[in-house]
Amino acid sequence: MTQSLKLYVRTADQTRRAELDLDGASTGADIIQAAVDNWALPADTDYTLVNTTTGRALAPGEDLARSVRPGDVLEVQPVLVAG
Amino acid sequence: MHDPQRTQRYRRHDLIDWFSQEQVSAARVAVIGAGAVGNEVVKNLALLGCGTIDVFDFDVVELHNLTRSVLLRESDAGRNKAEAVAERARDLDPHVTVRAVPGDFWDTMSLGRLRQYDCAIAAVDNFEARLRLNQLCLIARVNLVNAGLDSRWAAVESFPFAASEDAACYECTLPESAYARVAERYSCGGLRRRAGRERLIPTTAVTASVAGALAASMALRLGGEAPQGAQRRLLDTIGGTGSTVEIERREGCPGCGTFARAPRIVSTRNRWSPQRDDRSVAGTEIGEQVVQLSDPLIAGYECAACGPLEAAARYVNRRAAEFDDAIATCPKCAAPAVRIEIRDTFTVGELTARFPGRPVPAKFALAEINGDAICFDLEETPAK
Repeated sequence: MTQSLKLYVRTADQTRRAELDLDGASTGADIIQAAVDNWALPADTDYTLVNTTTGRALAPGEDLARSVRPGDVLEVQPVLVAG
Repeated sequence: MHDPQRTQRYRRHDLIDWFSQEQVSAARVAVIGAGAVGNEVVKNLALLGCGTIDVFDFDVVELHNLTRSVLLRESDAGRNKAEAVAERARDLDPHVTVRAVPGDFWDTMSLGRLRQYDCAIAAVDNFEARLRLNQLCLIARVNLVNAGLDSRWAAVESFPFAASEDAACYECTLPESAYARVAERYSCGGLRRRAGRERLIPTTAVTASVAGALAASMALRLGGEAPQGAQRRLLDTIGGTGSTVEIERREGCPGCGTFARAPRIVSTRNRWSPQRDDRSVAGTEIGEQVVQLSDPLIAGYECAACGPLEAAARYVNRRAAEFDDAIATCPKCAAPAVRIEIRDTFTVGELTARFPGRPVPAKFALAEINGDAICFDLEETPAK
């Protein structure tokens, strides 16, 4: 049985922030896609997710139930490619 | 020998208790990319007195580069970027050895050469080059620092491969969408797309200078005890905020998950002799041993309508990346019907049959022999 997780998601510039009740089976990629869709983030940019509470970057397919605790703050960060 | 000018030059550095000029002057750093970030990195390394800086770039200077490239001038337009940057960096400090390596780093950076550096800095502008440098540094166990930016953010990641076999790599947090962008540039599993459009990302000197400063600092591991694990620092150059996060190794990562342990590098002459194929290693005849090449090759070229083509001699057994998808059009019937077989995995027997007495056009070949990962270096190590 999957459990619901209450946590917070924000953009790296902290202009967008949301409280989420998350299905424990969700992955980082699911959160990123929801953020891009709901906040109209630039679609030509790639994103990664970090857990600011633990100071740890989350792997793209990582099962959030294993790495996130209730109340944690996740941040959607751009993957920067220009040099 | 005591050099009074040198002593004078670095006197202020000597006042910093955590700064070792001796260590910085002994450091050897490869900077891949001489664009906006590469300029800032090389400038900082040279001013710090870093012993050896090699600058790799294939590109030439264009006028639009000048708003972000501290070492370039209008008179450099049309010159190779690596040569122009290296020349200006030598002016900054004649005690520093700065060398330009023009050309694509995949062609100019052998594993042997890479192992001579303490760190390689990725100051490139695309995912593909970063993936390739990550792979080389993983195999060579050389520290990698990756810098990227846009018009607001600067991100710098450090992957201490030399310090720890368990360090995460660049691919451990890379999203699937990044691989999709790399795939957009290729068709038929390895040929470059003709109509590929480069994504232009605006940047400024501000983000470049922040990224370049942080990259130089992390490459030289300034500030005392360096972390054993991989890290990412993201800085908002407008708001002034930033974060540092740990990057952990990902199980099944397409980069570092390829080998449980770092492969042992074995130098080869890259000459393939059929008469030696009947020997065996660990119960497997050498000819049956499977190897994975660093570069996919065109293994077959035949038109579905016309059958075998004379043009196959021009393409087969060469790197697929040398060609674009125009070669999928049949030179006889003009239909886009050529079946092109592209692969990177061969048996040693196949390679000796395809390249008798000749070198295989690849950087290296990976094999698992008796449970051990072996990397056969197919390039000659250049003279120091």
